[in-house]
Amino acid sequence: MINFTVKFQYGTPIYEQIVYAVKKAIVTEQLKPGDQFPSVREMSKELRINPNTAQKVVAHLVREGLLEIKPGVGSVVSGPSMATKAQRDKILNNEVEKLIVESKRLSITKKEVVDAIICNWALDNKEGKK
Amino acid sequence: MNSTIETRDLTKRFGKNMAVQGLNLTVPTGSIFAFLGPNGAGKTTTIKTLMNIMEPTRGSSMVLGVDSKRLGPKEFTQIGYVSENQEMPEWMTVNQFLNYCRKMYLTWDNKFCNDLIDQFNLPLKQNLKSISRGMKMKAALVSSLAYRPKLLILDEPFSGLDPLVRDEFVSGMLDITGGENWTIFISSHDLDITGGENWTIFISSHDIDEVERLADWVGIIDRGLLKVVEQTEVLQNRFRRVELTLQEPIDIKLNFPEKWYLPKQQGRTVHFFDSQYETGKSEAQICEIFPTCSNMEVSGMSLREMFVVFAKKFKISEL
Repeated sequence: MINFTVKFQYGTPIYEQIVYAVKKAIVTEQLKPGDQFPSVREMSKELRINPNTAQKVVAHLVREGLLEIKPGVGSVVSGPSMATKAQRDKILNNEVEKLIVESKRLSITKKEVVDAIICNWALDNKEGKK
Repeated sequence: MNSTIETRDLTKRFGKNMAVQGLNLTVPTGSIFAFLGPNGAGKTTTIKTLMNIMEPTRGSSMVLGVDSKRLGPKEFTQIGYVSENQEMPEWMTVNQFLNYCRKMYLTWDNKFCNDLIDQFNLPLKQNLKSISRGMKMKAALVSSLAYRPKLLILDEPFSGLDPLVRDEFVSGMLDITGGENWTIFISSHDLDITGGENWTIFISSHDIDEVERLADWVGIIDRGLLKVVEQTEVLQNRFRRVELTLQEPIDIKLNFPEKWYLPKQQGRTVHFFDSQYETGKSEAQICEIFPTCSNMEVSGMSLREMFVVFAKKFKISEL
């Protein structure tokens, strides 16, 4: 059983798309700490992806601390983690700056951006509204 | 990186017909390689020389570390080979056939074999000649998977199979990837040409999406020549469809980079395919070449769309 949702799109590496889908599933509590995460084989067969890609996804998520390997059980979802200073900086400075640059380039106003952030913050609600 | 198949200048000529010309191909161990091309492109001939069924006219290939001309029983017990025109002992029942194969392989895994039989719903008591083509192909696949080969070669495995059977086929194929040192080589005529620019793609979108997510390497062969060989991920990253709206029409033939394929212009709209896309850089270059560009849409492409572009660009097989 694959307990997260992923819709594949063209132009982005499959592995990045799955990593993102898992992060989103964790944030929206579709996946909860302690939940069993599918094995490489299950993921490969269910999502019809190359086993190497599935392997890469698990390795990446373990490295980022989102999954833990438990001997005899497989991989499970880790508890919530506090961001390191570097991770906070990356999001609060780099990513936000990118968003502002793109928004200004396309003449999107500050209010529109702030409203969109507030609206998107509640990820579940957004799905509901649409 | 270790390779399971490596060909050097592999060439096969039948009289005046160059079936395969100077093929240099590397299939890394632990990869799924999709070998694509229209009918008659040289796919089966390539596979037959790899399998020591035919001798190359020139060049050589290494398969599982052995010169293909020296492949013998030791290697063949590590290779699974299923072809579209598989010859099978038609008079046997499915069960007799599998028992017959079992004796040839020391590594035959009974449990795995039974799992596959269940998964595929194989009718064990029926004769091979009385079952459907799909069932026969599945029986052939079981007989080639049950000994957990290190190299699985599938020559046109999907042709003539309905979508459900194809799906089961892929599932079974992925079963051997649980072990170590596996490699899968699939040949397929994903593209079939009816002449000129009229392309017909035989495989449904579902299937080509499947190839897209399954294969980590893609090779395209046409008239014996290898046209493209690349990692799927690299292809996905470097290809973009671009659509521009210009404020005033200009002659796009001027300064149009070679890497932008198949330009088309309709009034103020310009279309092309960027074959060397880099986030940011490409957009900047577009603005430089088309200063009056007022709208730009850059979108990712499916493997199928890329094939159509390759086919038009490199004039693959005009029949």
